Amino acid sequence: MQNGKTLGEPLLEAREISLSFGGVKALRGVSLAIRRHEILAIIGPNGAGKTSMLNVVNGFYHPQQGTITFKGETRRAMRPHQAAAQGIARTFQNVALFKGMTTLDNIMTGRLLRMKRGLLWQALYWGPAEREELAHREAVEKIIDFLEIQAIRKIPVGRLPYGLQKRVELGRALAMEPELLLLDEPMAGMNVEEKEDMCRFILDVNDEFGTTIALIEHDMGVVMDISDRVAVLDYGRKIADGPPDAVRADQAVIDAYLGVSHG
Amino acid sequence: MELLHALVIDPIGAIADNPEFLLEVVIGGLLTGVMYSLVALGFVLIYKASGIFNFAQGVMVLFAALCFVGQLQLGMPLVMALLSTVAIMIALAFVIERVVLRPLVNQEPIILFMATIGITFFLTGLGQLVWGGDVKTLDIGLPKDPLIIGGVLVNEFDLTAAAVAGLLVAGLALFFQKTSIGRALRAVADDHQAALSVGIPLKTIWVIVWSVAGIVGLVAGIMWGTNLGVQFSLALVALKALPVLILGGFTSIPGAIVGGLIVGAGEKVAEVFWGPAFGGAIEDWFAYVLALVFLLFRPQGLFGERIIERV
Repeated sequence: MQNGKTLGEPLLEAREISLSFGGVKALRGVSLAIRRHEILAIIGPNGAGKTSMLNVVNGFYHPQQGTITFKGETRRAMRPHQAAAQGIARTFQNVALFKGMTTLDNIMTGRLLRMKRGLLWQALYWGPAEREELAHREAVEKIIDFLEIQAIRKIPVGRLPYGLQKRVELGRALAMEPELLLLDEPMAGMNVEEKEDMCRFILDVNDEFGTTIALIEHDMGVVMDISDRVAVLDYGRKIADGPPDAVRADQAVIDAYLGVSHG
Repeated sequence: MELLHALVIDPIGAIADNPEFLLEVVIGGLLTGVMYSLVALGFVLIYKASGIFNFAQGVMVLFAALCFVGQLQLGMPLVMALLSTVAIMIALAFVIERVVLRPLVNQEPIILFMATIGITFFLTGLGQLVWGGDVKTLDIGLPKDPLIIGGVLVNEFDLTAAAVAGLLVAGLALFFQKTSIGRALRAVADDHQAALSVGIPLKTIWVIVWSVAGIVGLVAGIMWGTNLGVQFSLALVALKALPVLILGGFTSIPGAIVGGLIVGAGEKVAEVFWGPAFGGAIEDWFAYVLALVFLLFRPQGLFGERIIERV
């Protein structure tokens, strides 16, 4: 709680999640709470199960055991589009944008769930459907201003450099006006300047919109700077969970990262 | 020397002698091309939205035409038969999504392609079982008389087909580019996972796309059926859609149209003026050679999305 904000009750609680692919156990009884308005960093060595955890939360993976409680509702597994409808947005480790579409269109897809007119109305694109489209366009323009990507509005995202693609992907997630934002390595492959920008955006989103954020990141400097709480996974287990400073000093965490001699 | 004569001098001479005849051939070809475009459209729709090359599109054309003509023969009024066939094609889309696509989500494209070959055999059998294998004539009163416009002979039916195709394409282009559902369709075509993460329900999208492809197939089936009679060789018309797609690009609706026009006009002109040099019947293979040339120089087609490869 470095910046002195008060963290709310859990927005999402995963209990005793176990997930395996054939013989490979990706997650073994992980319990993890994400509290309202916090920035939670999930860290751990490669293959620790961080991305699997995000995939369970937004419904890409269905765990064999455990339950997820989101906004007071408990379930075994979600379907991805239901998770999205209930306010969970995410970005991906290897940017997953619609490459043939422009920046604007990509971010507009984030508004699809917010469109009230039925599919047929939208197919006609006439009268009320057109007005609604314009209203959503306005919301998207605000996000474009916020992320400072006005200049690339009409460019197909496949042609953009990697750092900008990551920013557009964040924009698409923001367009959903999510309550919970999952970011899978938002700063991977970025240079220092791009990382600083991304950090600023993440903090601003958290600050201005009150969005709860769970992110996976490898850059320890970034993690210690921006997160309110850090959870550490290792071999599919959670080995630590707490404020950044406490986690940094935790012996189990140091062992996981540096290795330990079994003498 | 004789070949050179037949390839260059004779055709040029023929064209110079009678330029109006060339115009007539080109227009006739363009109008046939529109019919190819109609079939190619169905392929493009499904390929755009799901990355699946739907081998069954040709059979869907046949199946739709069979259902339509079959119900007409049972004495159903025209409009009823049309609506009921549309309903059948939408029901078919639901069944295909549930039975074929959903269990195969995230499989390799080649596996889905194989599945559509399965659909082809199934629909061929089903059509034959329900409606029989005989040739059915389809006449819904489309005008068929020849017309002379500005000294050029054209067929009224061909003009009707062109108008129908034009309307269909304009509608589809608006649908894809302007509406949010069209945007959702393009999103699904680009990246399934990302589409799911923004809350696009894949199932609904697939049902919509296959329904639209089925309805486009019905329109194509009515046009071709009127021309050739509704029979099983109609499914083979789909083979002509392949060079059209290679020319136009698999992902472009305007491409399907322009590709169809080029193939239609090209093969007619080639047949009439260069046919004699090869002993005739080059209409049958000219389109494929044209496609081959395109593959060498512009593999993404005229309007296809450029393949951007980052290394």
